[in-house]
Amino acid sequence: MVENSIILGSESVKKRDEDSDDVYYSPFWGIEKGAVLQEARCFNDSQLDARRCQQVITKLLYLCNQGDTFTKTEATEVFFSVTKLFQSKDSNLRRMVYLIIKEVCPSSDEVIIVTSSLMKDMNSKVDLYRSNAIRVLCSITDAGLLGQIERYLKQAVVDKNSVVSSAALVSGLHLLKINADIVRRWSNEIQEAINSSHPMVQFHALSLLHQIRQSDRLAVSKLVTQLTKSNIRSPLAQCSIIRYVSQVISQTVPSDNAPRPFFDFLEGCLRNKSEMVIFEAARAIINLKEVTSRELQPAVSVLQLFLSSSKPVLRFGAVRAINQIALKNPLSVTNCNLDMENLISDQNRSIATLAITTLLKTGNESSIERLMKQISVFVSDIQDEFKIVVVQAIQTLCLKFPHKHRTLVNFLSNILREEGGFAFKKAIVDSIFCIIKNIPDAKDPGLTHLSEFIEDCEFTYLSSQILHLLGSEGPQTTDPSKYIRYIYNRVVLENAAIRASAISALSKFGAECPLLRSRVLTLLYRCLHDSDDEVRDRATLYVQNLEKLSLHEVDNSNSHKVTDFALQDLESSLYSYISGCTVSPYSISNVRSASQKSKTEHGISKILSKAGHDSSFSEDVSSSFEQSNLLSNPLFSVYGSVFKVCSSNSRISPLNYFMFQSSKPISLTEAETEYKVNLSNIKFISTHVLSQVTCIVHLFQSHVVFEFKCTNTIEEQVLEDISVSMEMIEGVDFLAENSTISLDRMPLGDEGSTFVIFDRKEGVFEQAKFSCILRFTSKEIDPATGEPEEEGYDDEYTLEDVDLKLTDYLRPTNISNFKKAWDSLSEECECSSDYDIGKREGLQQAVEMVINIIGCQPCEGTEAVPPNSRSHSTLLSGVCIGESQVLIRTNFGLDELNNVTMKITARSERLDISELVHAIISNS
Amino acid sequence: MELALIGLQNAGKTSFVNVVSGGEFVEDMIPTVGFNMRKVTKNKVSIKMWDMGGQERFRNMWERYCRGVTAVVYVLDAADKENFPLAKTELHALMQKPAVAGVPLLVLGNKSDLKDAADARTVIDAMELRRLSGREVCCYCISCKSQHNVDVCLEWLSKHAK
Repeated sequence: MVENSIILGSESVKKRDEDSDDVYYSPFWGIEKGAVLQEARCFNDSQLDARRCQQVITKLLYLCNQGDTFTKTEATEVFFSVTKLFQSKDSNLRRMVYLIIKEVCPSSDEVIIVTSSLMKDMNSKVDLYRSNAIRVLCSITDAGLLGQIERYLKQAVVDKNSVVSSAALVSGLHLLKINADIVRRWSNEIQEAINSSHPMVQFHALSLLHQIRQSDRLAVSKLVTQLTKSNIRSPLAQCSIIRYVSQVISQTVPSDNAPRPFFDFLEGCLRNKSEMVIFEAARAIINLKEVTSRELQPAVSVLQLFLSSSKPVLRFGAVRAINQIALKNPLSVTNCNLDMENLISDQNRSIATLAITTLLKTGNESSIERLMKQISVFVSDIQDEFKIVVVQAIQTLCLKFPHKHRTLVNFLSNILREEGGFAFKKAIVDSIFCIIKNIPDAKDPGLTHLSEFIEDCEFTYLSSQILHLLGSEGPQTTDPSKYIRYIYNRVVLENAAIRASAISALSKFGAECPLLRSRVLTLLYRCLHDSDDEVRDRATLYVQNLEKLSLHEVDNSNSHKVTDFALQDLESSLYSYISGCTVSPYSISNVRSASQKSKTEHGISKILSKAGHDSSFSEDVSSSFEQSNLLSNPLFSVYGSVFKVCSSNSRISPLNYFMFQSSKPISLTEAETEYKVNLSNIKFISTHVLSQVTCIVHLFQSHVVFEFKCTNTIEEQVLEDISVSMEMIEGVDFLAENSTISLDRMPLGDEGSTFVIFDRKEGVFEQAKFSCILRFTSKEIDPATGEPEEEGYDDEYTLEDVDLKLTDYLRPTNISNFKKAWDSLSEECECSSDYDIGKREGLQQAVEMVINIIGCQPCEGTEAVPPNSRSHSTLLSGVCIGESQVLIRTNFGLDELNNVTMKITARSERLDISELVHAIISNS
Repeated sequence: MELALIGLQNAGKTSFVNVVSGGEFVEDMIPTVGFNMRKVTKNKVSIKMWDMGGQERFRNMWERYCRGVTAVVYVLDAADKENFPLAKTELHALMQKPAVAGVPLLVLGNKSDLKDAADARTVIDAMELRRLSGREVCCYCISCKSQHNVDVCLEWLSKHAK
């Protein structure tokens, strides 16, 4: 029976469908502008057919809404014939007339012709005419005419008919733009309308009242205070009040202890009987600035109720709001996890996706496996854009719980193999890239997944990207050989672009893994006859390079493996052996091996890049480090061996190679003199300004190295044996001059460096000022021969003074959890003090200034001061020389006269380091 | 029948419509912005009147409402002799338009109750009505205030009702 009836039912439905297919035509089918304009002539008939006119107007309106436009003449013609329709008393036709006037609305000097008719309608007895006439009139009126109709509008605001009253109020909103003063005069009437019993009127009146006062913050605040106490029943109006309230809250500066203004009101709205109001209030609470979890609590509980509502819109709104909370306060919404897990199977996919992504944010490490299982069930039937959201959430989760990378990367690679568009696949690949980059353990499995993926990847772009990554990351893995098969398969099977990428990737394995080189070469030889030019070119180039590399190896395999030594070190040690005493036999063991050297360099750059995380300071530092000749100049080896000599004398322990930080380059010659050098060298030969010198201070654990970079700017001159003698002119005795490395010859137009090395007493943080004198031998070039003269003369030139600053002892570092780090440092090594900074434009300026002075890294985004704040805390973190952590809390306050006061509390492992921070502040 | 009431501002067009439709004469009227549409039934004849605004900005739109009317009624302030030349120019300009070719014209010298109001003959001369050929032209001096000659006008109008 049941089956039968179902079949019957479906049949009848089918039948009806077929029937309607036959008879159903869109009433708007085949409407064509020209024809309709012809038809519009019926408006001019002396005997009007109201029904026909209505139909024609409907067609005209349809055309307008479909994006058809009328020419100026057409619009004018239609408009004037429409005005003739005012003679008809048919109210339906009149309604259409109002609509079409607003729609075609020709130029203002023509549209004015209907003014009188509209004014008549505005005072008519028919409410329908009155409300519509008000709306049309206000949309066509100009400032001059407004004066004439204002009286009627004002009256209409308090009309007992709600439609008329609303029409007047909404018109008021539009008129504010034309003539705000006139609308402001209605405030008594508007106030009366707010108390109307009709919800729509209430809502419109409220909007208008707020709009009028919008520009006056104080008035808005007053209005809101008054409204929260009044008895507004319209849910829409209540929602508006909530919005105004949150606006006022966001503009008030929060005082530390006082409760947030209006919070009670918002909390009260959560108990409103209208769901719309409840939701609006919850949203307002969520969006409060620096909302506490206690404040969130009531909002979260109503949202939790909504989660199990039968209305999809409420479920969606709730899960969306909770998702938003989860971004900042994931802990506050963990209570809702169970409800959200039910939503994963929600019919509405938007709700399900939001639920999943929220759960991924709030979930703890233990629930990940379970979640992943649930997601994999549902992920196949959602759309790509939702999948992308899920993928991004998983990426974030993986970075949050690195231990779970295996599960998460597995999941990603599974969905990577499923159906999906380019954007989706790209999102997954990007996520895996990001995970590989940030979680070292995930690198091997990640690369394996990716290389399996390219076996069957339809997107050339992604394949090339993955091949590139395999090329750059693969050789460093424990078993590079396994990737070669995957890569070479691409060369055999894919299109030219991928083949080319694969060859580049292969060659990287060949270059970096000597053991695989011959095998890679064999593979590359096969590519030399590829049909594509680019592929062939790349193959040829890499074959050449790799062959050269392997030849090199064979040549040197029987000798001392020269390449294993740092060539520069070797050269300089030989040099010093020859020039020094040759009594003892030369030992190569003094020369560092290349790998050792690169390790040191690696170490240095690693530390620099560690400091360089998102920090502009450190970028400066690393760039000044790169600019420094410490590494690049051949002198580095001399410099290195000098340290070696020292270390053999055990005055510097090897540990102290470790470099702390380098200052930014400071120019020691005035920029102006450089120009002058170019203009007239004779003058400067006599005053001995021959070169351009900049200084970089390199701070080591127990040494300070001043590097002077010099450039000869005069062609007719040779400068030799350059050194700088430094003398401390300010500061206590904590440095002892160790040695000086002179520069043999100042290069012309290029930089050469001379160094002065001081031993530093560890644990002493002092500043110092040095006077510097550049000493050199100057030889003139004989213009006839172009050769420098034999005899030169010694000369010297006083440089600007060089400072060793207190900030040089500090380096910015980023830490993820300031509070944890802070608590781990003992209170005993805390040092705090108050400072008066004086007048500033705002707190942001003061904060930036202090950050600049201390030179530490602002943490957790606290360097940004919210607008209008009167107080702010900034957290700074840094490392002091000796690798001891320094943490600084700064509290800023702004008084009425814009005077800024600040309290600085510093903690570190040692009290004297905390004091260093205060010394920096008080010195500047 | 359908009439178009034309004339410079403050001539008395709206007052004429009011009087014809049986209303009271009101001393201070507000200027008509645009047009008024009025329908009355007089002597079993239904009259549709397009009462146009007389201000300059509306004058180029008069023609649009004269198309297809039974007669054009041109109302003139007979006491405002200064504006006779302007009134004449506007009238003749309108009569040139093809839309009103052959349409009968009734010229009304309104405000005849005023002391210095011109009489019909003066109006005919000042308006150079004799030059308007190809249509029936008639001229009366009326007063909307005292209802003087209004009935004569209606008589003339009902004669032309089709």
